[in-house]
Amino acid sequence: MTIKNPYLSMDTFTCVRCGLVVSRQAPEGRPRNHCPSCLHSQHTADTDCQSRMIPISIAVLRNGDWMLIHRCTRCDELTSNPISGDDNQLILVRMAVRPLAQPPFPLEAFGDL
Amino acid sequence: MPRRHPVRGVPQRAKDKRRDNPGDAFRCVGCRLDVPFHAPGTAHRNHCPNCLTSLHVDGRIPGDRRARCRGRMVALSLSVRPDGEWMIIHSCLACDELSANRVAGDDNALVLLRMALRPFGARLPQRALLAL
Repeated sequence: MTIKNPYLSMDTFTCVRCGLVVSRQAPEGRPRNHCPSCLHSQHTADTDCQSRMIPISIAVLRNGDWMLIHRCTRCDELTSNPISGDDNQLILVRMAVRPLAQPPFPLEAFGDL
Repeated sequence: MPRRHPVRGVPQRAKDKRRDNPGDAFRCVGCRLDVPFHAPGTAHRNHCPNCLTSLHVDGRIPGDRRARCRGRMVALSLSVRPDGEWMIIHSCLACDELSANRVAGDDNALVLLRMALRPFGARLPQRALLAL
């Protein structure tokens, strides 16, 4: 059974990195799988790994939605999950601009195009 | 920006000879370009430098040919390693598997830059603008 108000839900988990206790239901009503504060997750799809997953990049779907890509620190598995409305926007934007901060080629040449 | 680890501990080696003799080039499944295996900057070329499309043939180790899928993998997003190296995240169109690969020296810079700018293209989430 899903509860309409996620703030009344007693179903919570504790973030493996920052220790924040968060509800399993995002404000949109979807199930949540990463901490909204530090965006770290846990590798629960593999039952015997259960290790910490760190966010490595932002993927943009065709409809404009952002997906968060996690990598497991133990087995290097990659997963993608939709972001929720209360995710830490500062970390999200910092991850989105990180490729532009460290380009492997000079970006000045693109000014002529 | 200077690299944090300018010298790698173990240099990349080319893979040993494969049983099927692939020659010195492969044909891209996305744009049908003939791509030589020799790539500047990396010993493991696994995506087309023109359209960045790859093929789902490898498992965890580059070149191990452990995946049975053989599906087409399209470039999904860009990630940056702590030493400043760009990684392309590929997602398989057949089985939704994700994999991360280093960019090569001759990859299409315009396609890479379009992918880096994709989060800011259509609509940035409102709350992201408030955070800036």
